[in-house]
Amino acid sequence: MAAKGEEITVLNPNARHNLGVAIFDMCTIRFEGSVGYYAASMLDGPEVVIEGNAGWALGENMMAGKISVSKNAGASVGSTMRGGELFVGGDAGARAGISMKGGSLIVAGNSGFLTGFMMQKGRIIICGDAGEALGDSMYEGTIYVGGSIASLGADATIEEISEEELLDVLAALRDHGIENKRSFTKVVSAKKLYHYDTLERLEKSAL
Amino acid sequence: MVTGSSQIWAPWVMDDIHSKAELGRYRIRGFSSFQNVTHFDDLTFLSTGLTRFPLEGYKERCNTRTVIGGLNAEQPLVLETPIYISGMSYGALSANAKIALGKAATMIGSASCTGDGGMLQGERDASDKLVYQVLPSRYGFNPHHLAGAQAVEIVVGQGAKPGTGGMLMGIKVQGDVAEMRDLPQGIDQRSPARHPDWLGPDDLAVKIEQIREATDWRVPVHVKLGACRVDDDVKLAAKAGADAIVIDSMVAGTGASAEVLIEHSGIPTVPAIVMAREALRELGLYGKVSLIASGGIRHGADAAKALALGADAVAIGLGALIALNCNKEIPESNFPEEIGVEAGLCHHCHTGKCPVGIATQDPLLTQRLDPDEGAERVANYINSMTMEMTLLTRSLGKSDVHSLEPEDLAALTLEASAMARIPLVGTNKVFGE
Repeated sequence: MAAKGEEITVLNPNARHNLGVAIFDMCTIRFEGSVGYYAASMLDGPEVVIEGNAGWALGENMMAGKISVSKNAGASVGSTMRGGELFVGGDAGARAGISMKGGSLIVAGNSGFLTGFMMQKGRIIICGDAGEALGDSMYEGTIYVGGSIASLGADATIEEISEEELLDVLAALRDHGIENKRSFTKVVSAKKLYHYDTLERLEKSAL
Repeated sequence: MVTGSSQIWAPWVMDDIHSKAELGRYRIRGFSSFQNVTHFDDLTFLSTGLTRFPLEGYKERCNTRTVIGGLNAEQPLVLETPIYISGMSYGALSANAKIALGKAATMIGSASCTGDGGMLQGERDASDKLVYQVLPSRYGFNPHHLAGAQAVEIVVGQGAKPGTGGMLMGIKVQGDVAEMRDLPQGIDQRSPARHPDWLGPDDLAVKIEQIREATDWRVPVHVKLGACRVDDDVKLAAKAGADAIVIDSMVAGTGASAEVLIEHSGIPTVPAIVMAREALRELGLYGKVSLIASGGIRHGADAAKALALGADAVAIGLGALIALNCNKEIPESNFPEEIGVEAGLCHHCHTGKCPVGIATQDPLLTQRLDPDEGAERVANYINSMTMEMTLLTRSLGKSDVHSLEPEDLAALTLEASAMARIPLVGTNKVFGE
């Protein structure tokens, strides 16, 4: 679909599913309208701009590149993403950044329940409110929330944000024209579920 | 004095209670179910007599070539035998084991499959035909690897532990295994049970289309199901657009699972195949959507019976590992000292202390498995299975293993008759109908 260095504009995407999947060449793709499920998923390199809303799993498993959606993104935005930057101009649905393995997911609005579920690496910034069970079972990675947190998930905990981190977050937001946020709550893994509490004799002898 | 022992409170039951009384959690082990369930041994072939003629058992041509996933894929998976090696992760297995399996698959013109941990480059290099799994965890998932695969398998469930995700104890989450999975070193990994990006069958249809887009509609997309609610699941997977359905039964192997799941969930292989076949037939997709059976396939007779019941191919895991020397005392090993049991009784894959270098990440233990020698043993084993299949097929007067059919079989037990929907020997009756 896309070649290296090309700039492609897709008119009337009509919220179709699977638009711009697995594109590996450095190019720019602009969707003028809303896209369906799995838009710009499995991306490795391109810059994708969506003028509208996106369905489920926008940017799923992206390796590198940039995605920006001007309005809302459905469930599982940025799921399993391993690199790059994904920006949501409106709200994100449930399971935003689920099983993330790297990269940066930025949501200008609110995010739904189980945001950062089983997150492994990377960074999620939610400027608004985060839904229930935030960061449930996360392994590593960091979630920053500018608004309220409905509840923390299993093994997620709040940690004090350093000045340096806050400056990083604010700089990332400034790139997207967001200047009005000044404070964030930082959520990380409490790491209490990393291991089984007890081991059988053979399991112990293996360690 | 009254003598005897309780069947309900057997010694191993008491040992289990003693262990849990210490542990305070479910027990974990590898291998396969210990349940005595209806299996292929409960079926027998009705070879030729006067009503039909056999082919020369040792010589005449008998086709084993198998085509999987020709419904939508431009390049279906073509195997020289209906037996391929199922998904087992690099992590659960050593790199040498994965490479040996890949080489073996190439030697016999078949395929190997990645597993829950991403693609090991060594296996990719060794295996001409590689099935790339898409699992709920997406550990190491890389669209470039996906695009280079010869088939893709979306894993919904695994027979040994349906309804839950993979497990890898911290002893194995080390070095590049942890790095490939993007996990902290040494954690007890419990993989997600649900896919992160889709939930129900309607979503699965979109997911399958996404994978077709990512692979340019070239290769088949399989859906692997843990055999439980087979009728519904097979229909939903087929309607979602799967080219092939892998039905993995309760006796399938695992590198690590909660024992309660291994022993108390899923259904056996025989009824799983029959239910899947009938579900596809009801949709008019039997013979179009490929059916792959896995779980407890030990030899050519099991594989032939699976095909007679309706499978197009079988996938083997544990059998291939046993061919690699699993549960065999070798000059370098000492099972009683190293793993606490005699060879033949080991099911401790999860401890990472595999004395024969298969289910371990220990660099010293891993050296006990030579990938070239291991590949040769696995290739010999699968070749033997294929020859056993053709021998049986010819004895039934057929020249293609895919011509085997249910009427070639009889059931030896009432249960097998009911589950396989095949008459009980000595009767014309299919029990349960």
